[in-house]
Amino acid sequence: MLKRRRLPHALSLLSVAMLAASVNAQAQGDAETVMAQTCAACHSSDKEGQYTRIDNQRKTPEGWLMTIARMQVMHGLKISDEDRRTVVKYLADRQGLAPDETEGSRYALERRLNTLETFDSQQFTETCARCHSGARVELQRRPAEEWEHLVHFHLGQWPSLEYQALSRDRDWLPLALNEMVPELAAQLPLETDAWTKWQLADKPQPAGQWRLAGHMPGRGSMSGVMSVEAQGKDVYSLNFEGRYADGTPINGKGQAIVYTGYEWRGDLEIDGTPMRQVFALAGGRLEGRMFETLHDEVGFDISGARIDSGEQALLALQPSFLKSGESAELTLVGTGLGGQPDFGDGVEVEEVLASSATEMRVRVKVADGASGVREVRIGDSDTQSLSLYDRIDSVRVVPDYSVSRIGGNGSSTPKVYGLFDAEAWSAGADGETGTADDYRIGVVPATWRVEPFDERAAEDEDVRFAGTMDAATGRFTPGAAGPNPERRMSTNNAGNLKVIAEVADGERTLSGSGQMIVTVQRWNNPPIP
Amino acid sequence: MTPQNKIFAAPLGLLMTAVVLGSGPVQAAALESGKEYMAVTNYPNNVHVLDLDSDTLIKSCQLPDAFGPGTLQMAPDKHTAYILNNHYEDIYGVDLDSCELVFHAKMSQAPNERTKTLFSFAVSPDGKELYAVQNPTELHRDHYRVQPPRLAVYDTAAGLDAKPVRTFEAPRQVTVMQTGADGSLYMVGPDVYKMNVETGEREVAIPSRNWQRPNYTPPDVLSVWPIQTATRDFTFMYTTARFQDETQNLETADWLWGYMNINLDTGETETRDFGPITEVYFTGTRSPKDPNLMFGVLNRLTKYDVEKQELIQAAELDHSYYCIAINGAGDKVYLAGTFNDVAIYDADSLEKIGNIELPGGDMAITSSQIFVR
Repeated sequence: MLKRRRLPHALSLLSVAMLAASVNAQAQGDAETVMAQTCAACHSSDKEGQYTRIDNQRKTPEGWLMTIARMQVMHGLKISDEDRRTVVKYLADRQGLAPDETEGSRYALERRLNTLETFDSQQFTETCARCHSGARVELQRRPAEEWEHLVHFHLGQWPSLEYQALSRDRDWLPLALNEMVPELAAQLPLETDAWTKWQLADKPQPAGQWRLAGHMPGRGSMSGVMSVEAQGKDVYSLNFEGRYADGTPINGKGQAIVYTGYEWRGDLEIDGTPMRQVFALAGGRLEGRMFETLHDEVGFDISGARIDSGEQALLALQPSFLKSGESAELTLVGTGLGGQPDFGDGVEVEEVLASSATEMRVRVKVADGASGVREVRIGDSDTQSLSLYDRIDSVRVVPDYSVSRIGGNGSSTPKVYGLFDAEAWSAGADGETGTADDYRIGVVPATWRVEPFDERAAEDEDVRFAGTMDAATGRFTPGAAGPNPERRMSTNNAGNLKVIAEVADGERTLSGSGQMIVTVQRWNNPPIP
Repeated sequence: MTPQNKIFAAPLGLLMTAVVLGSGPVQAAALESGKEYMAVTNYPNNVHVLDLDSDTLIKSCQLPDAFGPGTLQMAPDKHTAYILNNHYEDIYGVDLDSCELVFHAKMSQAPNERTKTLFSFAVSPDGKELYAVQNPTELHRDHYRVQPPRLAVYDTAAGLDAKPVRTFEAPRQVTVMQTGADGSLYMVGPDVYKMNVETGEREVAIPSRNWQRPNYTPPDVLSVWPIQTATRDFTFMYTTARFQDETQNLETADWLWGYMNINLDTGETETRDFGPITEVYFTGTRSPKDPNLMFGVLNRLTKYDVEKQELIQAAELDHSYYCIAINGAGDKVYLAGTFNDVAIYDADSLEKIGNIELPGGDMAITSSQIFVR
């Protein structure tokens, strides 16, 4: 049903940190006691402890957290943070989603708020994803009756819903009940083979040592080792030691809880900054994102592999591109590394500078004229792309369309930064940019600036008011929140900006651009947008 | 909560006929017959009366309960202001001479019901009845169930615990309403309906979603400001696209503003494009002096020649304003909504004349009403 559109949304009940891994998971018995004391007040329970509504839904840990938080905010539920954590853990384990069922929607859990969602179903896009992410819906499973309850809840809670654009042009309620509900029940049913199988499946073992590789826009690549120790059922302590590609250390400690057998949620302090991990464990591998708790736009894309799994994994090449005719050092990050890596034609290993099971540093010479993308592997490992190029033909700003937000200045939400990478691209064999054989070289250093995106932005002096771009890092810091008397009509510091990266390639300078909307605060910021 | 509110809150449901509300810092006697005024609400709980001869604030009455949306309708006798408030859940009648609360109706009719009225209320031409389209939701222990909307009819003399004297089935998605001189109730919904308030029967007065204008897209109408005008015109705007031909190519279509109008005295209806879409407006109204002049407001105050379908004048504003109103003489335009100042513009030149600062906070989506006592 899914995929990519800009998330409009809106949030703010409770910070993601509520899933904090600061307590031991409690026994099932505790959760059942808490539910009998709290949930049962409204959700009738039969002799077998079946609760109306609750038993007929499955969702992610964040989904259950939002449900309970909504009960607190809207329906007067009183529950301690500790009891809530207990119930979230219990429900996420008992009525979660199978790993396959979260595929394609994990960007929402990973707080990638610049994702542009698109969905095959126009009805789904206009009915559900009009106000919140479609992922929020796709990360739930319910029978028809429960989807129907959800429609009634939405219109009952937000009566203006049927008067809004893309609602007032149609008979919203009958369409939602008679067309959307059956579609959701068919696409996202309560009972699935995936969930049945997952409940019976062997679950990944989190404890041990994990090799991680990551990349943060504007900061670059890093790698490290995360040591994980069991502290209790599904609760782990973790210690991360790593360094950026430029050699700067990056270290931290924290705790994590594993929900549903694979949903890893960690809270760490990395070099003094609180960060959160949202990973999916799959066998000896993990994928996800590690981001600042207070600035979730600042984060690393992470992939990892268990060091003791015996598996050969190639997680990253740092750097992942080389210029033809030059010698360069290259680091391979992975597990089970050893032997001689094969980089394919035109790349000769001059010297192995260091070699261990988790990292190999080599000096390679790229032949004159060698170009194109090589798929590099070691032994049985998966592959990583290595781009060879002789010149940069174009530059792309990534993301090419994004949103940052004003904040601070006494308002309840911090600023949301804009973070960018400049991607170098080759025109490929035909020498012509914009054709199918163009290939991505990789992220290159750039000089950054912003310009008005259009005439209106120029007239309103958006560049002056909307924030400041760090020329070296490409990090954009938006302006202060609130009306600005210096602006026309005292408007706030919103803006429509063109983000420009200038990249030097030898004597030549190339540039690329993207669009960034600097907009107002996200007032409503729940864990799943 | 102020002490007045506490006193007020408790006796609801008791047989009280009037409660004197606290009045604000500005206090004045009864309004004068023949004079022109504006009534407007704002946060946290005010209804203000402005004298439009002197363009000054003369009175601020305080309202019970929570603010929002503050939609205001003047009774035909121009004594009572009816205000939808308390998070869209209650309608209050305030005597503007005494600041007394003379009417109160809770939209919810049952303990397990939560009912909102989305701007949709109006007063009968004789002032004896008040009509509200209500959107109820039943709140069950573990689920909600949205109920069909209903038109509830109240006796305006019913006091502070008014209950519907009649109810009828009503369409969903109704916003603003007005009554015609013949007692018909006009409701703006998917189409614009004319309802017989005795029988509940309704017909389409102006087709909207279902209009049959060849080579036009269906119009988009969102009006939440029931502006009462000196000419008795009930006007609300639409946007639409007019195709060049039957190929209905949106790329080459003209995007247009238009208005729908019901003259409440004659019942005559009109659907008319008045200009190209170059900006967004929240409200618009025509000049009482010259019905060929249409004004619109949001981020600018603009004026259109309806006949020529041309934008003829525009004024920059200090900030956004949502709700437009024009005095009976048609020479002054008053802009309300957002912040707490009413801006006044010369209707001919669109030069700014001044501002009237209101005590209290944001007017938000209030509807300001100009009337002659």
